[in-house]
Amino acid sequence: MTDVIRVVKRPGGGVAGRRREDGRLDATRKATGEAIYVGDIERPGMLHVAVARSSVSHARIIAIDTTAALASPGVFDIYTADDVTPTPYGRAVRDIPILARGVVRYVGEQVAAVLAATRRQAEQAAALVEISYEGLPAVTDPVAALAPGAPLVHQEPWKFAKAAVKEDTGANLQSRVVVGEREVCEEALRSSAHMIDHTYTTPAGHQGYIEPWACVAEVEPSGKAHVWLTNKSPYRLREQIASCVGVPEEMIEIEPITLGGDFGGKGSPEQAPLCVELSRLSGHPVKHVLRYSEDLTATNPRHPTTLRVRLGCDADGRLTALASDVVLDGGAYAGFKPAPTASIHGVLEAPGYRIPVFFAEARITYTNTVPKGHMRAPGAPQQSFATESAMDELALQIGMDPIEFRRLNLLQNGDDDPNGHTWIEYRGLEAVEAALAAYRPQTPPKGWMLGMGISIYSRETSTSTATSLCLVPLPSGKLRVEIPIVETGTGSHTVFRELIGRELGYEPDEIEVVQVSTDDLSQDPGAGGSRVTATIAMAVDQAVKAWRERLDHGPVSVVVNEGGGPPVGSYSVQLAQVAVDPETGETKVLEILSAIDVAEIINAKAHQMQVDGGSTQGFGFACLEDLDESDGQVWAANLGEFKIPSARDVPSYRTILVPGGRGVGTANVKNIGESTNPPTAAAIANAIANATGVRVRDLPLRAERVYRAMKESSE
Amino acid sequence: MNVTFVLNDAEREFEIEPDSLLLDVIRAAGLTGTKEGCAVGVCGACTVVINGLPVSSCIYFAALCDGADVLTIEGIAKRDPAVIEAFVEHEGMQCGICTPGQVAAAYTLKREHPGASEETVREYMAGNLCRCTGYVSIIESVRAYVSDV
Repeated sequence: MTDVIRVVKRPGGGVAGRRREDGRLDATRKATGEAIYVGDIERPGMLHVAVARSSVSHARIIAIDTTAALASPGVFDIYTADDVTPTPYGRAVRDIPILARGVVRYVGEQVAAVLAATRRQAEQAAALVEISYEGLPAVTDPVAALAPGAPLVHQEPWKFAKAAVKEDTGANLQSRVVVGEREVCEEALRSSAHMIDHTYTTPAGHQGYIEPWACVAEVEPSGKAHVWLTNKSPYRLREQIASCVGVPEEMIEIEPITLGGDFGGKGSPEQAPLCVELSRLSGHPVKHVLRYSEDLTATNPRHPTTLRVRLGCDADGRLTALASDVVLDGGAYAGFKPAPTASIHGVLEAPGYRIPVFFAEARITYTNTVPKGHMRAPGAPQQSFATESAMDELALQIGMDPIEFRRLNLLQNGDDDPNGHTWIEYRGLEAVEAALAAYRPQTPPKGWMLGMGISIYSRETSTSTATSLCLVPLPSGKLRVEIPIVETGTGSHTVFRELIGRELGYEPDEIEVVQVSTDDLSQDPGAGGSRVTATIAMAVDQAVKAWRERLDHGPVSVVVNEGGGPPVGSYSVQLAQVAVDPETGETKVLEILSAIDVAEIINAKAHQMQVDGGSTQGFGFACLEDLDESDGQVWAANLGEFKIPSARDVPSYRTILVPGGRGVGTANVKNIGESTNPPTAAAIANAIANATGVRVRDLPLRAERVYRAMKESSE
Repeated sequence: MNVTFVLNDAEREFEIEPDSLLLDVIRAAGLTGTKEGCAVGVCGACTVVINGLPVSSCIYFAALCDGADVLTIEGIAKRDPAVIEAFVEHEGMQCGICTPGQVAAAYTLKREHPGASEETVREYMAGNLCRCTGYVSIIESVRAYVSDV
């Protein structure tokens, strides 16, 4: 296989990267619109679903009047909780009813489902469903939800299957995790020469994929259900649906799909249990495509988070202790998270510094708000914003340069991290030096203030790999690679083709990579956790060995279950430059310079896109995005109100790769997908503080907040 | 009511409701390359070309197309393969859901502003949101296409 390397010029910024000649395998079908997504799937006799949703935060349902809706044109039938299975569903915790059963718990909850000949007819009829309520006290603030006597979102949440709480754990708790010992940390903070104590907040945010949730379900007369869902974890989805509707897993077949964006938002069963039930009840295939306003208000956005951070150091600026007390608003149901503690692990990640005493306690609460799932690097952007802001605040309090302060405290080889793990190497210092060497001050608009801020994020690489695949030789001499992994957009299928081509000597056009259904392979945990490339490499390695050792010329199947090895991780350092208008607080982020600690890179372009795309999501989280849950309901209910970055908004990007690191597995790779969005918000907040002398501790860093902080400090 | 317009270089007649949206009409005609994203005319995933201008088909009445020249991604790919080649060559996509709309906007940009500067490209393409790429590879694709005159 020829290995032509060329330099790609990147006019929009970014780094000149090495690239093989064979580009993305799905590029042409995506550019021409030929790629088929769930929303494009049609089945014979298909009916369309629309749902009537709760307009109140917490209430008993007194009556559901479907008379007018049933008389609406094109309506086939209307279904409520009494018609579908009472078993709740979920990813881990099984607490979500298919349709609200007696009680609604958030504005947007599904109450009744309409089946009609067209989507529009279904929507028109759903608007005619009359729901009568008797109001219940609602709790929409996550801290208030934990107080004794708070209204209960669920009466007995410990009774849900896979619940993470017990009867005596307290009101409205979804989960709680504690790391370290509080008293030891309190004592270390008390005896520190210097300490800061600040509270930082981040709002609810939607993942912002452009493809809204969509589902097609078709139940055969035999009871076998075929499901096409905008979901990235088909094998887990199969179990989640099967256990909800009460059939063996082999009665559910999850069909292959192309996914129109994920970012952590497309892992739940979402409408699949409802659609399977509706197809079974109606005898027709059914399709449910959400309007984007429904996606923003009633799916599974990122948790709003309140983080109190106390950070201490000695007289020389060496860190002594870090205490984090974190509350995350989990919304009305816990079942959209892959583990009840999913975002907690991110907020409890220890920053990559020498911190002798580390304590953290995080709680996720139930509230009467839209249930929360998670987003890219669950919990980590919130944690990084708080602790990396706090690093700057402590450095400035003791009169030390924030970069010097970090250099003094970064972990070095041989150290244990604050959680007691010993990574095989720490390359934070190298990444900081690489970033500083590349740093060039920009010119702000006339009269504006220029500022620079740093932020450092370190993340352990997942070492566990589990998947399955099959190599099928074709009569044409080509090779078909059957895989269980959904192409979420990252280029994972291209990486498969590239690695197999290298190992077995096939040209790109001689390899066909296809995702197959859950009936065809045995397992895969789904795309996530920044582990896909390492998983693919391990699977390819084992498949190639089996291929070479095979006795006949038939297909070769492998099942991969590997794990362990010493902790490996990656540092990403970002330097943000901002210009702030002293009159209005308007902030322009001029540049984000990233220095990324890497080992081997399989596909340079796909890797770079994780840096560019991640930094852009970090920028949106920092400066723009807020679902606005005031009064407990989502007010930013369309993509005009929930503002994600456009081509005109984004800063200029530059990337410095710091090669030579030690990765995991046969391909010697480090994680990247969730390494570039967490640090951005603190880098920008620190740059604003550097420019203006004022600190904003609440995201997003909008002009009015910067303006108000400047005004308060001048008074 | 009936409406007649040129769709991808062929005259077509459609029976529609007065408030039928163009997006629904073209998708029902089997042209599923045009995608619904935000459904409120913000994200640009549903962009088509009407009389040479980019239009959000999710908020555009099909009735307004009577007598118009309408081009969807399927027609653009046939009429000007260079725009597809530029996006493929520079990998101006990841998940691909916004890509047909990006391609449609690039197509009209080149005709409205041949050889456009990066600033003009970013301004023009601001109506086509992408959540994956950070726009770097999209701007690279569009600039390669518009500068190739």
